[in-house]
Amino acid sequence: MLLKSDKIIPVIFLLFFAILLPLGYSTGLVSINSISLWGRYFCFAIAALGIDLIWGYTGIMSMCQAIFFCLGGYGIGMYLTLQTDSAATFLPDFMSWNNLTELPFFWTPFQHFLPTLLLGLLIPAAAAFIIGYFIFRSRIKGVYMAIITQALALSVYLLFLRNETNMGGTNGLTNFKTLLGFDLSEPSVKLGLYMVSLATLAGVYQICRHIVGSKFGKVLLAIRDSESRVGYTAYRVLHYKLTIFIIAAVIGAIAGMLYVPQTGIITPGRMDVKASVEMLMWVALGGRGHLKGAILGAISVNCLYSICTSVFPEGWLFILGVLYVLTVLYFDKGFLGLFEKLAIRVGFKPRKTETAPYPKSIIIK
Amino acid sequence: MINNVQALKIFIWGLCCCLFYVAAYGGSYSQDSVAVLMQQVANPSDEADRSGAIQKLLQNESPAILPFLAAVQNTALYEWKGELVSAHKNPDTPEGYMLLKKLYPTYATLLDDEQQPLSVSQEELESVRIARPDRLLISGLGVRTNLFNPNAQLRAAAYTEASQSDDIAPELLSWALAHEDNPKVLLAGREAYCYFQMTQATTTSEIKLWGDSLYNTGGSNAFQLLQNFAKRDGVAEEASAYLLSQAEKLAAKSAWMQRIQNVFSGLSLASILILISLGLGVVYGLAGIINMAHGEFLMIGAYATFSVQLLFSNVFGIQSSDWFFLAALPLSFIVAGSAGLLLERLVVRRLYAKPLDSLLATWGVSLILIQMARWIFGDMTAVKLPAILSGGIHVSPQLVLPYNRLFIIALTLIIVALVYWVLMHTRLGLQIRAVTQNRSMSACLGIDTKRVNAITFFIGSGLAGLAGCAMTLIGNVVPDMGQSYIVDSFLMVVIGGVGKIVGIIVSGLGIGISSKILEAFFEAVYGKVTILFIIMIFMQFRPKGLFPDKGRSAEE
Repeated sequence: MLLKSDKIIPVIFLLFFAILLPLGYSTGLVSINSISLWGRYFCFAIAALGIDLIWGYTGIMSMCQAIFFCLGGYGIGMYLTLQTDSAATFLPDFMSWNNLTELPFFWTPFQHFLPTLLLGLLIPAAAAFIIGYFIFRSRIKGVYMAIITQALALSVYLLFLRNETNMGGTNGLTNFKTLLGFDLSEPSVKLGLYMVSLATLAGVYQICRHIVGSKFGKVLLAIRDSESRVGYTAYRVLHYKLTIFIIAAVIGAIAGMLYVPQTGIITPGRMDVKASVEMLMWVALGGRGHLKGAILGAISVNCLYSICTSVFPEGWLFILGVLYVLTVLYFDKGFLGLFEKLAIRVGFKPRKTETAPYPKSIIIK
Repeated sequence: MINNVQALKIFIWGLCCCLFYVAAYGGSYSQDSVAVLMQQVANPSDEADRSGAIQKLLQNESPAILPFLAAVQNTALYEWKGELVSAHKNPDTPEGYMLLKKLYPTYATLLDDEQQPLSVSQEELESVRIARPDRLLISGLGVRTNLFNPNAQLRAAAYTEASQSDDIAPELLSWALAHEDNPKVLLAGREAYCYFQMTQATTTSEIKLWGDSLYNTGGSNAFQLLQNFAKRDGVAEEASAYLLSQAEKLAAKSAWMQRIQNVFSGLSLASILILISLGLGVVYGLAGIINMAHGEFLMIGAYATFSVQLLFSNVFGIQSSDWFFLAALPLSFIVAGSAGLLLERLVVRRLYAKPLDSLLATWGVSLILIQMARWIFGDMTAVKLPAILSGGIHVSPQLVLPYNRLFIIALTLIIVALVYWVLMHTRLGLQIRAVTQNRSMSACLGIDTKRVNAITFFIGSGLAGLAGCAMTLIGNVVPDMGQSYIVDSFLMVVIGGVGKIVGIIVSGLGIGISSKILEAFFEAVYGKVTILFIIMIFMQFRPKGLFPDKGRSAEE
């Protein structure tokens, strides 16, 4: 039963979004905008998977994941900015306002797609390595980790806000036209990006499952539950934490790179402290320590956001806040835990199955 | 005969008196004629009459009529209680009120009974409207009327312009200076006057003399003016060398003043940070919980102050009184503290075992509180600065120590001393310290740890509210005002070490002063980034903060 339901849900999910939704579009039932919206939700879901790896499975609460998301996003955004007609001959507008006459050196690699793709993943990875190395080396964890990464997120956000860093300032990067010669405003291109996002989500999900199921994943769980004991048994905790931190950063960057062509804009507002904490909340709401929970949380919170902001825009923060508090207080296993409880009550599921990677037995072995 | 002589004497006396009378009458006649002309300008029988009156006034050489002409030229002429005055707004005057200046025969700001500048409601003033062609007649006087412009900035600029022109009489400048009552303009005017005299001086010693006077004004332009004059053509070698050395001295002096100013603003930033972090740090030490909504308690304290102000002015009807602030100080503590207590009871109490979860839950609470404040109070409000705290100590033109910041520093000192006393010398403090060190052992010894938690949370949140009340003195009250300082104060708690007041004070001073000093070299943002990097490096060597707990209990 368990094995079966474990496979059934992803299959239904894939069938619905890969076949039914595009079908709905081709018959005119679903607008291209909502297709694109779902594409963006998938990007958030990918980022949420990364957060689940470091927080749900390793117990590292990092409040700077939005930085990596945006580093990837800015990478592709720079490439797209340079692809527009005017930028091919002249410089992007905000640079001429800064009185620049030629492209800054860190923009030059982004004139071509392959280097962009590479750098869009390498820069976040390198940033994660540096941040992670110094934080984990000095054994900063728990609340301290949250605070340090929060301060980090704030300062990077402030740096990107400045005009003289030549990253577009408050306005960010926008007015993208083409990607690899495809017109981004074209519905078929939007559909294509949606499909790519879905495929990436499925791929990343598979990879994450593999990581979680491997021996490496078990050590991560052990670190979550008792870091010092893992250290005493001669595991290099620093290496494990650093590796998973970098993996999560790269996953976040991938999500950012897919996200920007679909929204058409990237601003520093995407990487402030609030954005990072919100990403954590997706995972908490969906059910941390479960990959499906991360996906469910990211998609449902963003769905709710789209609905709330159109129905009563002022109340959104209020609703979000109440949701945070209720989740943490009453269902700390998130929506997934809630469904499980319901399933048990209705009788769908036998009472005593220990779902998901639940830790204690593994350590004591 | 004697009678005749006496009669002659009387006659001569009489004649003298007559002459004197005529002379006196004649004198007052000429004065009156100016006043009459001014009345004609203000209330002419017809338009041509007004132009004629202005023309006649223009022929008068006396500087005393210039204020009137300036008022006419800038449409700042008003009639108030039958008197011709000029009116201007001032940042300190309330909305719809203006300050008045008497124009003729004396030129001075009107004062009320307490010798404070009199502010008059706009409704009491009757504007004198004068057509543009008539006003243009006056523009021929150029910079001369600008010396009396109602706008202080333009006045300061006019002095600078006048100092560089050749056809201004020194007497006019000194007369204008004698009647200037804005300290900033006065300073600029003195500088300009000294410079003007330097350009008019003929001998080296005269130039040196006026150079010294310019040096002594200590104004912000003095350095530039001294240098400019030293580089002019035809200035004697000796004089120019002397002036340059004076300029150097001035530059060194102002650099020192700047440094002191930086340290002072650092101190004031530090005291705010300490006030915010004190509560945060005590709670963190006790329960291991960082309250992400702590910044919102600051906001609650600020809005409590704002509400008290509203209450005083709208319900009690006490306008322009400083008492509201005195009442707001304890009230903001109690209101924010009660909100904290509520949060502890409803949310945090269930999460003491899970500090990271409490981080998220309190973040949610902070979102709720910000949104609620926005619903209730709107986007931006401000608390009126109590009159007693406006202004500051003018150490020198470059160095002003504002009273409101001094007040905040003093308040912080008192609060820190009070918290220290409570922690070290009361039974409650003893209990708090015991629970901080070893919770289960304290419980075994009969301390009601839950009660201690609640009381500590109350005090911690109340301190944030007090900080919010203090912050209304230096900034606006906005729903998300807590967010701007909160990350810094989190960092302070981390650097200081768990629940150590000394740690918080040292790290607060460190962050406050170094960020102000770094801001002097870099932009504010880079200063912040630099500090963060310094902190990261610091954490490599002392991961448990400045004053870590020692011994076995410190592990895990």
